[in-house]
Amino acid sequence: MTNHTVSPRPTFAGYLATRWRDWSVTASAVVLALVVGAVVMIVADAEVAANFAYLFTAPGLALGSAWAKVSTAYSALLLGAVGSPLALAQTTAAAAPLICAGLAVGLAFRAGLFNIGAQGQAIWGSILAAYVGFAVQLPPVIHLIVAVAAGVLGGAVWGGIVGWLKAKTGAHEVIVTIMMNYVANGLLAWLLSTALFMRPGRQDPISPEVHPTAAFPVILGQLHVGFFVALAAAGAVWWLLDRSTIGFAIRAVGANPNAASTSGMSAARTTIITMTIAGALAGLAGAQSALGASATGTPVPLTVGLVGTVGFDAITVALLGRSKPLGIVMAGLLFGGLSAGGLAMQSIAQTPLTLTMLLQALIVLFVAAPQLVSTLVPILKARTSRVAVAGGQA
Amino acid sequence: MSAQTTGLQLKAITKKFGSFVANDAVDLDVRPGEIHCLLGENGAGKSTLMNVLYGLYQPDGGEITIDGSRQHFANPKQAMAAGIGMVHQHFMLVDVFTVAENMILGREPGLVVDMKAARTRVQELSARYNLPVDPDATIEALPVGIQQRVEILKALANDAKFLIFDEPTAVLTPQEIDELMIVMQKLRDEGKGIVFITHKLREVRAIADRITVLRRGKIVGSAEPGASEAELAELMVGRAVDLSVDKAPARVGEVRLRVADLSVANPIGAVVVDSISFDVAGGEILCIAGVQGNGQSELADALLGNTPVVSGSINLDGADITHAKPRETILAGVGFVPEDRQHDGFIGSFTIAENLVLNRFDRPPFAKGLSLDLAAIHANAEQLRDEFDIRTPDVTNRGSSLSGGNAQKVVLARELSRELSLLIASQPTRGVYVGAIEFLHKRIVEERDKGTAVILVSTELEEVEALADRVLVMYRGKVVGIVASDTPRDVMGLMMAGIPYAEALAVSQADDASAGKDHS
Amino acid sequence: MKKSLIAPPMFGAFALALGGCATPPAATTAAPAASTSTVPVSDFKACMVSDAGGFDDKSFNETSYAGLTKAKTELGVQSAEVQSKNDADYARNVQAMVDAKCNIIVTVGFKLGDATQAAAKKNPEIKFAIVDYAYDKPQANLKGLVFNTSEPSFLAGYLAASLTKTGKVGTFGGMNIPTVTSFMDGYARGVAQYNTAKGKSVAVLGWSSAKKDGSFVAAGPEGFGDVAGGKKLAAGLMAQGADVLLPVAGPSGEGALQAAQASGGKVASMWVDTDGCVSASKYCAVIPSSVGKAMDVAVFEAIKAAKDGTFNNDVFVGTLANSGAYLAPFNQWDSKVSAETKAELEKIKADIIAGTIKTTA
Repeated sequence: MTNHTVSPRPTFAGYLATRWRDWSVTASAVVLALVVGAVVMIVADAEVAANFAYLFTAPGLALGSAWAKVSTAYSALLLGAVGSPLALAQTTAAAAPLICAGLAVGLAFRAGLFNIGAQGQAIWGSILAAYVGFAVQLPPVIHLIVAVAAGVLGGAVWGGIVGWLKAKTGAHEVIVTIMMNYVANGLLAWLLSTALFMRPGRQDPISPEVHPTAAFPVILGQLHVGFFVALAAAGAVWWLLDRSTIGFAIRAVGANPNAASTSGMSAARTTIITMTIAGALAGLAGAQSALGASATGTPVPLTVGLVGTVGFDAITVALLGRSKPLGIVMAGLLFGGLSAGGLAMQSIAQTPLTLTMLLQALIVLFVAAPQLVSTLVPILKARTSRVAVAGGQA
Repeated sequence: MSAQTTGLQLKAITKKFGSFVANDAVDLDVRPGEIHCLLGENGAGKSTLMNVLYGLYQPDGGEITIDGSRQHFANPKQAMAAGIGMVHQHFMLVDVFTVAENMILGREPGLVVDMKAARTRVQELSARYNLPVDPDATIEALPVGIQQRVEILKALANDAKFLIFDEPTAVLTPQEIDELMIVMQKLRDEGKGIVFITHKLREVRAIADRITVLRRGKIVGSAEPGASEAELAELMVGRAVDLSVDKAPARVGEVRLRVADLSVANPIGAVVVDSISFDVAGGEILCIAGVQGNGQSELADALLGNTPVVSGSINLDGADITHAKPRETILAGVGFVPEDRQHDGFIGSFTIAENLVLNRFDRPPFAKGLSLDLAAIHANAEQLRDEFDIRTPDVTNRGSSLSGGNAQKVVLARELSRELSLLIASQPTRGVYVGAIEFLHKRIVEERDKGTAVILVSTELEEVEALADRVLVMYRGKVVGIVASDTPRDVMGLMMAGIPYAEALAVSQADDASAGKDHS
Repeated sequence: MKKSLIAPPMFGAFALALGGCATPPAATTAAPAASTSTVPVSDFKACMVSDAGGFDDKSFNETSYAGLTKAKTELGVQSAEVQSKNDADYARNVQAMVDAKCNIIVTVGFKLGDATQAAAKKNPEIKFAIVDYAYDKPQANLKGLVFNTSEPSFLAGYLAASLTKTGKVGTFGGMNIPTVTSFMDGYARGVAQYNTAKGKSVAVLGWSSAKKDGSFVAAGPEGFGDVAGGKKLAAGLMAQGADVLLPVAGPSGEGALQAAQASGGKVASMWVDTDGCVSASKYCAVIPSSVGKAMDVAVFEAIKAAKDGTFNNDVFVGTLANSGAYLAPFNQWDSKVSAETKAELEKIKADIIAGTIKTTA
């Protein structure tokens, strides 16, 4: 007893314990969301719900119809997300912008910044990437690179402005980014009404199609090179955060700005750098939307809603991925899968789109409230404490 | 002991956090009319035990009895109702409220706040325990000692029979400490049972009726009030500790740091360092003594470059660093041990290895261009771990896994592991157990002997006496005087209250003459 | 423990049974669809893809969807539909409907123009129709369904001018796009017609035919989903004296109805796309009339033609003449519109159909 162990737990077991907990909370969240989604499906379907009035008289009818409803929907979800190479390709296509924008939010999170502005940054990314894509003639490959670079630059500037404002004036990044989203959206709408962007012969706010030279080359179905660019971006962010001096400063400022500043790091400089890189990543997400192949094999022309809500979905992706690059890739794929699978649920099982969105929201809700998940899934709790006890005995 | 039925008893209290056992079958009893000192190094489990007693934590084992009847406290409210009062180390007071408002905080009877009754209550309690406070004064306007008095009155307002004082002296001046001691003795004489938590041996010896020593969550023994500091220290750390620092006389070299007419303002514009001038030579330790909050922290921050200088100049080795940023002063060879290491010196979520390069991570040998050299960072950490005896099984553990003393060793190791021209160490041993204090002191003296100019900011006179070559006493942002380190403690105490040296010396001598005995 | 295991399903069943009882509208609308015993069930499959507004947008997606529902019940066709979330999803959503083996795919909104055309090229055996969009040279299997809303809007403007007591009428749009501004422009021209005919000078706030610009809730598509924003614009127009409004802003237009209702009879607000007394019935008292686009009719006709084998690629233009665009009944305002005005409106309608009155520039 005199030889008391210094550390209360061995590191490897501890590492496994925390990892296990993170993954199992997320997995439980997905399962719970699916369960709640199933209940909603049953309740929302008048026919199925009506059958529950006969639950005791004819249980087979009620349970059978409920099972049919839910299993059709979820097998469609699975089929649409991972059921075939083409389905997988569609998942990756939906995931690519989410991963990039998720990285933009996650990176900022790590520096203690709440980047609500990935939306505006992505919008700028889409504007510039699309513009270079349709207005400029360049040889293949070079055209794509220039278009992507333009999108990245657009996002970087839009994000960098936020970082600069925060560093120099102390303006809160949440307020600024929200406002910048509106500005970006308004500017896009305006640009689409100008001759510069409006498609000749059209009066609708829609741009010309980008030249094929600027599109991400298609590999299979909707799987295009952009997805691998997104993975590379995740790798780059991992390197940046875990292996570079910039990332060291970003993490330090995020974890303890006082200690960082006492150690000679400049919080202002780090804020500007972080927001610029985050903006660049969101800009890449916008470029993905503008230059990535749609189901027709060509990119979608620039419209006001081209990037959709990628900047806001990115917040949930980053949250789900715990602001770690690998986690964000997984979360992006999960949401990409929900998007692709959700489409199949609609077209095959005739489940409304809102259910897919509900599932996404529930997953995030359950992840954000691990306490709730832990309570709802007692086995998880038991398992966690067992790991801890085992660690203590080692 | 189990036969005893009066007073407060903790029996075999066990409290675990995950696999960490903070309290391991701890027995403790407190009788009415005694001061029971709970002595232990930081992280020994004293605060955990008291939080169990106060209903903030639920124990995993053991029981609490009061006068023989078993108690269960699900929350502090129940503990208060059972007659337990707590004087927190960090006051649980609302700064912008008045004393009377703070008194009724949390026990507002209905929708209508009866301020008149609250005021009367304050006056009653003040009179009864002879703790004068103005019921209408706002807390933030009061000196720390008086704030603590309000905290004590709050605890007493519930007719507490047992009072827990959690490290009450950490924030007080020597004079205030003496006054607190008198208050505690008076409360004891009134029949209150008092638990006094501290790691300061001098205070324990001055006031305790009984002493229980806690180490690593266990009771390791009890001692009589007459026990010597060395005996107590040995109980605390498990071996004999030499409190005095074995240091050679300073070999004072050239002046390295020159501070002239330096003024610093706080963020709201108030002058907190007021035209200060002093020099520090290589090879000497200048202690900056003073009660917390008299401008020492801001002075240290200004020297580092973390707080803008309003006027005056700072000169290091002939170079003007008045307006240099921390990055530049660090490059110029300023080593900085911040006062609040959790807040300013340390990143809990970073690994120990990362913490050890916090101000050098972007330069060789720890970085190649933009890329961190993890191997070099790891090797550096392993070397410093051995050199500074940082107790951790793995330098890739998080910084937050370290105890206070080991965390401070990390900070000090980081600063001392490079060439320094000036070391600024603020409260380097605050919250550090005795064993580590000795080690930290030794390293600071070694740094001095390398020819570095050392500034040590400390509010603990023992530390000042042990380390200083010269002592600069600060009061309200000004220099009261720069005196030799062997200046009597009571003179220094008076200077810390703003009384100039000559006057303080006179007062002290008059006191000694009339009392005919010395204080320490 | 056992008890608690049994309780939740019982409770759930109870709640579900109650839920079923509590939603009679859903049950009744579902009933005819489920028991289409009078109509023979067909193998023909009609499908629809919404734009990002979704089928519940109380606007063109919803009305178009009503056409699909009507085809389902009256023609006995199979159906499927996909709601879009992002503009980037249109192509794959159309493709999903192709994969679902639809015989006709109706897409809603100009934003689906490219995706629909591409799919039509790729799948010549499938018929395509697109609401609110027309191609110059469409594929043989691709039909545009557009609406000349300036015609009924012209009537609405004339009506508004006859009703105003302040001499000022107002309009605003959700977003500055042609499908919105054609309403506003027609409305303003209708007012001008009234002024010329009567020698009056009723002013139009919120749109200028000369400048081709006016008031819009927002620059982007969110302008269609912002009731508060619509209400603010309506209040602004009211403050300037307008007492008959025409909001052309999808759901945002409800803000104008709210503002009109709050005015206590001083201000009236028209409705667009559908008869407001049907789709926003609680505001019927303040709605003199509505400018309707019979998208449901157009969609239904396109599906019917495809089923019957009479589908062609001629652009369908909804006009007053073919009732694809119409001025809705006056409903509760019937007594407030003078017989004179009613007669004049009939005359103008005939003139527009005859081409003697131009409703556009």
